[in-house]
Amino acid sequence: MNSPFRKQPAIKGESKYAIHIDQQAAQLKGVLLNDIRRSVFVYRVDCGGCNGCEIEIFAAITPLFDVERFGIKVVSSPRHADILVYTGAVTRSMRIPALRAYHAAPDPKICVAYGACGSSGGIFHDLYCVWGGADKIVPVDVYIPGCPPTPPATIFGFAMALGLLGQKLKKSHHQQGENEHALPRHPEVPLNLRICIEREARRLAGYWHGRRIADDYLELIKSGDQNQIRKDVQTYLDQKDDPRLAEIINRLQSMDSKG
Amino acid sequence: MVLKLLKEVLRVGEATLPYPFEPIDLAPGFRGKPQHDPELCIACAACATACPPNALTITTDLDQGIQRWSLFVGRCIYCARCEEVCPTGAIKLSQFFETAVMNKDDLFEHADYFLAACKKCGRYFAPAKELDYVYAVLQRSNLPVEQIEFERKLLGLCPDCKRKNDIPKLLEVYSEIER
Repeated sequence: MNSPFRKQPAIKGESKYAIHIDQQAAQLKGVLLNDIRRSVFVYRVDCGGCNGCEIEIFAAITPLFDVERFGIKVVSSPRHADILVYTGAVTRSMRIPALRAYHAAPDPKICVAYGACGSSGGIFHDLYCVWGGADKIVPVDVYIPGCPPTPPATIFGFAMALGLLGQKLKKSHHQQGENEHALPRHPEVPLNLRICIEREARRLAGYWHGRRIADDYLELIKSGDQNQIRKDVQTYLDQKDDPRLAEIINRLQSMDSKG
Repeated sequence: MVLKLLKEVLRVGEATLPYPFEPIDLAPGFRGKPQHDPELCIACAACATACPPNALTITTDLDQGIQRWSLFVGRCIYCARCEEVCPTGAIKLSQFFETAVMNKDDLFEHADYFLAACKKCGRYFAPAKELDYVYAVLQRSNLPVEQIEFERKLLGLCPDCKRKNDIPKLLEVYSEIER
């Protein structure tokens, strides 16, 4: 076992403090991962997170999502734990406590890197005081990314760690084809008008909704026939039934008529 | 008292969602994993510039002439800034949230695009698809045809070559001023 108290500079990337699991423990862990037939106890290790992940873990044990129906229980000591959940980006000062929790938990144990920070350091990945992910200090079996992962994503991750569900995400690689071209969107609408509408929609509705509203509106006005547009916009607004959206679309229309 | 409680329990019914056994209803504005359409992407790197946690990165290989777009889902915070800035709508946040993996490699998505070489010095300088896109936008603008053709010729030159060839012209202008 590596002593976690060595006086060496903290480095990023492949850790030289990597923990090696002996053969027997690895074998037991394989059984635990594939053929678990009992409840599992989970211990949370907060390695400098923002507590968003903790809130979502607690949301997952509420009656609405109720992970306890799968026998998953959150315990308050690593000595009782089968699964260690590492949240947070692993700050320099939380590294030793995290390692102590790891060594306190009995073998075999499953380590879960929880949240964007736990999986990779997340938005804090290049901070000077951060190790960038639980896998830099302990061997991680399951990654549950998300900022924070929603309770359903948490349930999915735990179910995957226990071999109940299969992994859905796969690595992908695309190579540009011979005749690949990308064309501007909404080619029917004049360029200047399109830019004005997109800007105004974003100003009114914020960056993400504004973009979507502008896209919907530009799709509606592409025919150029005023009567048709009026009818289409009315059906669209009736369908959405949102006074805020109606106001925004109204303003976009008045801008459109002004040119 | 117990009967009252039982009555209440029966009235409320079961609160627990049947999630892993049945699909869950997500709210309309739910932001899940970014979905990338590599055919629409022009490798302009707007998303990589906007991405706060550097989940989206662009690496340029000037020797091979390849621009690689990569998404590391493990770092994504689902802020949708990439969707906001994408000029072609190639990236959209989907409702997919079951992103847990056993192997970290499965969190990566890559797409490789060819770079265009400068017509004068032969060095790679910008993604070919991006130049195509710029020309398509120019064609849809209100500029006169001659100017669009002129701009198209300029698109084939790298910024370095443009700058170097500007300097003799500027010197001419200055000498005219001094005269």
